[in-house]
Amino acid sequence: MPKGWRSTTLIPVITLLAFAVLPHLYNNQFLLFNMMMYMALAQGLNIIYGYTGYLPFGYVGFFGAGAYGGALAITFLHWSPYLAVLAGGGAAVLLGMILIPLFRLSGAYFSIASLAAAEALYYVVANPGLEPLTQGPYGISLPQVYDPNGAYWTMLAILLFSLIISGVIRRSRFGLALSAIRESPLSASMSGVNVVKLRSISWLLSALIAGLAGAAFGWYISVFYPETVFGLGIGVFTIVFVLFGGIGTVLGPMIGTLILYGVYNYIGISTPEYFQLAYGLLIMILVLFLPNGLVSLARKRGLNVA
Amino acid sequence: MLRKTLARMTLGTAALAFSLGAWASSPSTIKIGTLYAGSGNFAQASTRQYDGLKFWAKQINAEGGLFVKAYGKRIPVQLVAYNDQSSTTLAASLYNRLITQDQVNILVADYGSVLTSVAIPLALEHHIVLFDETGTSGKFFKPEDKNRYIVLTGLPTSSQWPKVLANFLHTVGSKRIAILYAANDWSGSQAETLKTSLKALGANVVFYESVPNSTSSYSTILHRIAASKPEVVAEFGYSNNDIAFLQNYESSGLYFPMVFVPNPALHYEVVRKAVGDQAIRHVFSYVAPPLIRYNKEVNYGPTLDAFEAAYAKSGGKNVDLSTVAGYNTGLIVQKTLATSATFTQEAMRNAVDTFSGKIFTLDGLFQVNHEGAQTGESLPVGQVLPTPHGLQLLPVFPLKSAVAKYVYPTPGK
Repeated sequence: MPKGWRSTTLIPVITLLAFAVLPHLYNNQFLLFNMMMYMALAQGLNIIYGYTGYLPFGYVGFFGAGAYGGALAITFLHWSPYLAVLAGGGAAVLLGMILIPLFRLSGAYFSIASLAAAEALYYVVANPGLEPLTQGPYGISLPQVYDPNGAYWTMLAILLFSLIISGVIRRSRFGLALSAIRESPLSASMSGVNVVKLRSISWLLSALIAGLAGAAFGWYISVFYPETVFGLGIGVFTIVFVLFGGIGTVLGPMIGTLILYGVYNYIGISTPEYFQLAYGLLIMILVLFLPNGLVSLARKRGLNVA
Repeated sequence: MLRKTLARMTLGTAALAFSLGAWASSPSTIKIGTLYAGSGNFAQASTRQYDGLKFWAKQINAEGGLFVKAYGKRIPVQLVAYNDQSSTTLAASLYNRLITQDQVNILVADYGSVLTSVAIPLALEHHIVLFDETGTSGKFFKPEDKNRYIVLTGLPTSSQWPKVLANFLHTVGSKRIAILYAANDWSGSQAETLKTSLKALGANVVFYESVPNSTSSYSTILHRIAASKPEVVAEFGYSNNDIAFLQNYESSGLYFPMVFVPNPALHYEVVRKAVGDQAIRHVFSYVAPPLIRYNKEVNYGPTLDAFEAAYAKSGGKNVDLSTVAGYNTGLIVQKTLATSATFTQEAMRNAVDTFSGKIFTLDGLFQVNHEGAQTGESLPVGQVLPTPHGLQLLPVFPLKSAVAKYVYPTPGK
């Protein structure tokens, strides 16, 4: 096995072992669940942002679409939660297909338009007129399928799926083409890269991961409101975790999430009054001294980061 | 004879050993776990609520602790509280931590339905009673969920809030009512109940629409409401909605004979300062403690007057409904442990049923149904009226609670 592929395989294996063992050592299962959720989201965002350079500020829209897609499949179609998670992924992919025209925009315009799309979806879902379907602002309640252990292992499977997808993309010709798009869509197109098709595939893969994660999250907490799953904080955290770790790698978003989400929980509990100050300072230091994330430190030492 | 004596001695020794065992196994402190929002959307109300609970714990510890019937003695209270920053994902993780790592004996929810919602499945899973302070969503208490691990300690479920208001509007003969509400669970369920109740009473709901929670400009919608020629406009929303609505109404030049908004009942001073005296004058709202004062009826814990005096003496800020709700939760926990014969969650929940409907605290009658929803308290209608001490929100309906005569139709601007 080539060296690069070896490290790409190692990351999912270590992740699997870690999150399979951790619940036996640390009994706050939901914290571990959240950690996996943000890691999966970070990988999903990495696929569209890290590999192609398009940063969707409204990435949380896919997450919310997944949560509601899964919940509706359970409520109306009486699907098992495992199938409902897939339905959540499908709902997010559907949303992603609808939003493909956003790629007519670029840079900050694309980012802001995706944010507007996520907000629009939030208001549609929360509209009292849709109460028979989405429960509107009154929120979703799924006590009949509440199964934290089932949701935990499902989220672990989603995380592994996202790591494998991300790793494969990074090492494949597809990933190389995406990198070319990131550097210059025009040059990539002139070199024979089908920019529209490849960019759309990565967009839909990214949406799928967020949708699966959203559906599993909705299943785990089983009672949620539109603002819970469309909260911009989820998207902002994901973006910060990816940036902190380093975009365009599999390991970077994992490390970013591990450190920052760990810090978030540690400071939030030990010294909550300093939480925002500490977090803000950390991000300022990152922007000033490590604009390419933590993995850039390893790269400076000549290490090839997976 | 000898055999009888020996049997008695054996039984007595066994009973002594058992009771000593019970003493020995009693915890050194009663851990009460809760969350508060130190920042974010719910910070203001949540920290006030937490202040009320902290004050109760301080008072109880000053008395030597909480009397726990299961152990027959007083045990000090230890509050374990984390800041969830108004985030539901963080709140879920922290509730989990309180249950699984801190292993609290009593679990108390954060403020409001959104931050309470994530605690409900966790409490059910771990079979620990959730003392729900202000999470009033009706969906927490559905009979089909068969969830016995929740007790709403204070306010009634939000769908019950406007029932007195509907009767009031019927009594004053209002026939054309406009209802505007923000798209959230709390506001929407109040609007729905008011609409249903009014229709049952023969009134005509001439306007019924929702707006997003983030709405900050009501100018256009106010003119649309005016076009439906209502006698009463009821706006349901969070504080920011009420404030923007009243400010826009004041500057619009429009006139409605009655305007109702809910939040002065919860944070009267906040709303008054934000909109000014002119805009809040004659506005109708609910009335809840401390704006309505239960003193004579109270048979458990201090009266509101006594509580306010003690709270002020300890350096507490102005008492509002959230503070009362936090303190009241402490009282319900206190009564639960003083009643429960064994120190198990099931016994505690059953104990709540035994005193439900029998105790009257500074927050009102404590009465819960089988699902744990509060049914004892109701919210009278009040109106902001001039008094020698300035503008005050005073109860005006029902008449048994009224301390002032309502002004309707309200004078023009």
